[in-house]
Amino acid sequence: MHMLKYAFMQNALFVSVCISILCPCIGIFLVLRRNSMISDTLSHASLAGVTIGLLAKQNPILGAFVFTSICGALIEYLRSYFRKYTDLILTIVLSLSVGTAITIISSGKLRASADAFMFGSILTVTGFDMVMVLALTVASVLALVLLYHQMVYISYDEEAARIAGVKVGLINYVFSILVASAISASIRIVGVLVLGSMIALPVATALQFEKGFRSTLVLSIVFSFVDIMVGLFASYYLNVAPGGFTALVSVAVLFLVMASLRVTARLRNGAGVNA
Amino acid sequence: MIKAENLYFSYTGSPPYLLAGIDFVIQDGEYLSIVGDNGSGKSTLLRLILKFIRPLSGVITCDATRIGYVPQRKDFANTDFPITVYEALNSYRSILKLKDSAVISNTLELVGMADYANALMGTLSGGQSQRVFIARALLGQPDLLLLDEPSTGMDQHSQQDVYHLLRTLNEQHGVTIISVEHNLNAAISNSTLIYHLKDGQGHLCTPQQYIDEYLTDRMSAHAHA
Repeated sequence: MHMLKYAFMQNALFVSVCISILCPCIGIFLVLRRNSMISDTLSHASLAGVTIGLLAKQNPILGAFVFTSICGALIEYLRSYFRKYTDLILTIVLSLSVGTAITIISSGKLRASADAFMFGSILTVTGFDMVMVLALTVASVLALVLLYHQMVYISYDEEAARIAGVKVGLINYVFSILVASAISASIRIVGVLVLGSMIALPVATALQFEKGFRSTLVLSIVFSFVDIMVGLFASYYLNVAPGGFTALVSVAVLFLVMASLRVTARLRNGAGVNA
Repeated sequence: MIKAENLYFSYTGSPPYLLAGIDFVIQDGEYLSIVGDNGSGKSTLLRLILKFIRPLSGVITCDATRIGYVPQRKDFANTDFPITVYEALNSYRSILKLKDSAVISNTLELVGMADYANALMGTLSGGQSQRVFIARALLGQPDLLLLDEPSTGMDQHSQQDVYHLLRTLNEQHGVTIISVEHNLNAAISNSTLIYHLKDGQGHLCTPQQYIDEYLTDRMSAHAHA
C-alpha cells in the first residue's frame, strides 16, 4: 500500500470512493428505466463540456457538469417531440456533443490536453476537482434520498406515480441533472469512453441476485466499490489508464457472478432431485 | 359524482371519433361496469376520467378527492422490476404522505396478501399481483376506485376473490367503483350500473336492463343465424 503515500493517489482514492457511491445510485434508475444508453450519450456530452471549460479557462469538471446538465435537460425536452422515435433523441444530442468537442479540439485553441478525460487518469485529480466531486456527490445523494420514493415509482409505474400526484416531468429534469452530476464527477478517473460501464455494470451485476429494490441498490454500490477499487489499484501497478481497466474488471465481475449463480442454482437443483 | 357532458375523443384529433357525444352522471356509491367490444373505447373513457388524456371537446368532472387506480395487467410490462410487495406499497405510502406504516399490513390483510409482503412483485401470479395493485389503490382510502379489466389473466377462483373484495369495498365501505370489464358475467353479477359502449355512443342501464336490451337481442340474433 506504499502507493497511498503519494498525494495524487490519495486524491484519486477519495474521488473513486465518491463515484463508487454516486454512479450506481443514478445507474439503478437509468438501467431499470431501460435508459442506460443515456449515460453513454451524456458521457460524450461531458467531453464537450470539458473542452468548453478548458477553452474558457475554467475548471473542466465544472464545464462538464454545466454542459452535461444542459444536454440532459435537452433529452427530456425532446422526448415530447420524438415520442415514437426516442432513440433519435440520443443521436441528436450525441451529434451536438461530439460535434462541439471535435470542433474545439481540432481548432488548436486549447492550452491543455483533453486526452486524460477520454481514458481517465489517476495523476490529474486536483484539489479543486476533489471539492467539486464531493459537492456533486453530497448534493446528488441528498437529492436522491429526498426523492427516493418518487423516483422508484416513476421507474416502476409512471402512471401510478402521476395519479399519486408525483410531478413526473419536474423530477425527470432533476434526474437529468443528477445524471450529469454523476458523469462529471467520474470523468477524471474513469474517462469519457467507458463511463457508461460504471453507471450500468454494477447494477447489472446486482440485478443477477433477484432481490428487492433496496437490496439491489446496496449490492450495486458494493459491486461498484469493488470494481473501481480493483481498477484503480491494478491500473497503478500495471501503469495503464484506470478507466479502461475498471471497465474490464466490471465486465469480469458481472460474468463471474452470473457463472457462480448458475453453478449454485444447478447444484441446488441437483441436491433437490437427489433428495 | 362523475359527470360527462358531450365528450368527443379520437387519438388522431379528427374524425372518425372513438367516443362521440358521451353523456352520463354517476352518483357516489355506485359500482359501474363499462362494457363493449374490443376497441369500443372502454379504456379510453377510463383514461379520460383519470385525466391521462383530454377530450377533443366536452367536459368531464369528478368530485372525488382520493382516487385509486388499478391498471390493466397486460399493459403493465414492468414485471422484471426488482421490487418487493412491501417496497411497492411503502414507496406509494410515502408518496401519498401517509405517516402510519401499519396501513400497509392492514391493506395487505384486507386483500388476502399479508403472507407475501417480502415476495418480489415479478414472482406473483396474475391474481396475486392484481390484489397487490388493488391494495396499492386502497392505501390512500380512496372514495373512487377505477379498475381496467381487473380479472384479466386470472383463474376462476382468483376472479371470485377479487370481485368479492370489490363488492365489499363498494357495499360496506361506500367506495364508488368504475371498472372496465371484458367479463360480462362479472359486470352483471357485481355492478349496480352498466355503461355499454358501441359505435362511439354510450348507454347507461341497470344490469337487468342490459340483459333485456342487449344480451337477449344478441342471443336471438345468434339463434337466427
